[in-house]
Amino acid sequence: MKLGFVSDAWNRFFFAPQSPTPVALFRILYGVMVIATLILLRPDWLAWYGPHSWTSLATIQKMEPGMRLNLFTVIPQTNAAILAFFWIFLASAILLTFGFLTRVNTIIVFLCLASIQQRNLNILNGGDTFLRLAGLFLIFAPAGAAFSVDRLIRMRRGRESSEIPLSSPWAQRMIQIEMSLLYFISFCWKIQGASWIHGTALYYVYHLDELQRFPVPQWLLTPTVLKLGTWSALVMEFSLGVLVWIKKLRYIILTLGLVFHLYLEYSLNVPMFQWVVLSAYVLFIDPADLERVWNWIRNRIATSPLKAQSASR
Amino acid sequence: MATDSPVSKDNRELSTHADRLQRVKRAAISVFIIFHLVAIVCWSLPTNNLLVHFVKESVRPYFVWSGLFQSWDMFGPDPKSVNSYLEAVVIYDDGTSQLWSFPRMEVLSYTDRYFKERYRKYGENLQNNEFADLWPDAARYIARLNSTSTHRVEKVMLVVRWSAIIPRSDNTYDRGPWDVNVFYTYTVKPEDLQ
Repeated sequence: MKLGFVSDAWNRFFFAPQSPTPVALFRILYGVMVIATLILLRPDWLAWYGPHSWTSLATIQKMEPGMRLNLFTVIPQTNAAILAFFWIFLASAILLTFGFLTRVNTIIVFLCLASIQQRNLNILNGGDTFLRLAGLFLIFAPAGAAFSVDRLIRMRRGRESSEIPLSSPWAQRMIQIEMSLLYFISFCWKIQGASWIHGTALYYVYHLDELQRFPVPQWLLTPTVLKLGTWSALVMEFSLGVLVWIKKLRYIILTLGLVFHLYLEYSLNVPMFQWVVLSAYVLFIDPADLERVWNWIRNRIATSPLKAQSASR
Repeated sequence: MATDSPVSKDNRELSTHADRLQRVKRAAISVFIIFHLVAIVCWSLPTNNLLVHFVKESVRPYFVWSGLFQSWDMFGPDPKSVNSYLEAVVIYDDGTSQLWSFPRMEVLSYTDRYFKERYRKYGENLQNNEFADLWPDAARYIARLNSTSTHRVEKVMLVVRWSAIIPRSDNTYDRGPWDVNVFYTYTVKPEDLQ
């Protein structure tokens, strides 16, 4: 009886067919994140990954031994070959964003992303790690089932109707679980530190010169506010890791998470991390709500003054 | 009494076959999911009890190969409590020298900070003794950056400067005095500059 209940819940959670729109929207955001990461790296492609880079391939292989998915071990170690690799990677990320040959491009993007990370593990932040992990599971997701060139082609060829076919969301669930683990494990690490328990952790974070970005109002840096901020960060991480799975609380927690990350983006210089994590929030939105928002946007565009003006001409 | 036509019997067989295939596929995916969930949780947890350690070591080759390795310890268990930055003393073959500075986020423009943040992460690792294997490559890179055909770099010294963040009793902040340490010296070989 109990086993049957668990099995039913398991099947509902991982396999009950649902609209692929959240994961398709995530694919677009994911592609944009990869493109942005590559553009930010662009001035240093050769400095970090070239044959005469800050860290040679041989050094990385010595420091991190073992078999790894790393295309740099098979491509020629010349500037031209390394640059060609990056241009192919960028092109594939663009195609993935538009959803053209989606499955193939999820594989190419993951392989390239894993390769640049394995090639230089000493320059990565949590955002890079999340991109890599989400990329792996995205390969198995119906990422091109909506909002994609692939779907337009299928519709034009008569292989699909205007209704988006439902599919099993197990790969989407894996990315969602990865996102909540990111928060929960981070919370677990932090509660082991005295500074987080005593409420002084943010005091140190906001006095690390190298991490500061835009100026923060002084009242936000007073010890009392920083103490409250430290404990709030713990509550946020726990909520986004655990409570986000409770449907009634989900949108409130995601909204607070959005504010939390936007504040971090403003005040701390950890490029891309906040955006990468935020992009995965769309996976927690109910497909029906996504559809409502989409219809609302479409109606707004249809009834916009500009559109009305051109219709009256 | 109605009898099945050969076509509808064929259809039924086909659908049974498809159901069976679907069940097998679902079971295989479930095994994949369970394995990955257990492995990822054990890998990430900040604990090393016997079971977690066993799982971690068992899945290590697969995680390392596939890129599933992960750690979510940003600012944990405690954030850094020192400000630090890296420099290099570059000594030329004519006896002159100059100080070369790694890109420092706090002195860069807002845009450059966004583009060059990787240097912050790299510098953070480079000054850590656990990453000593990175030092010769870094010294060689700096030598190449600063050498010309007439002015060759002979020696590179990697230097870290740091200052503790000292909380005052009234909860305000005090910057400690800057300390300095030359943590690595490399004598440049001619082939390093090619």
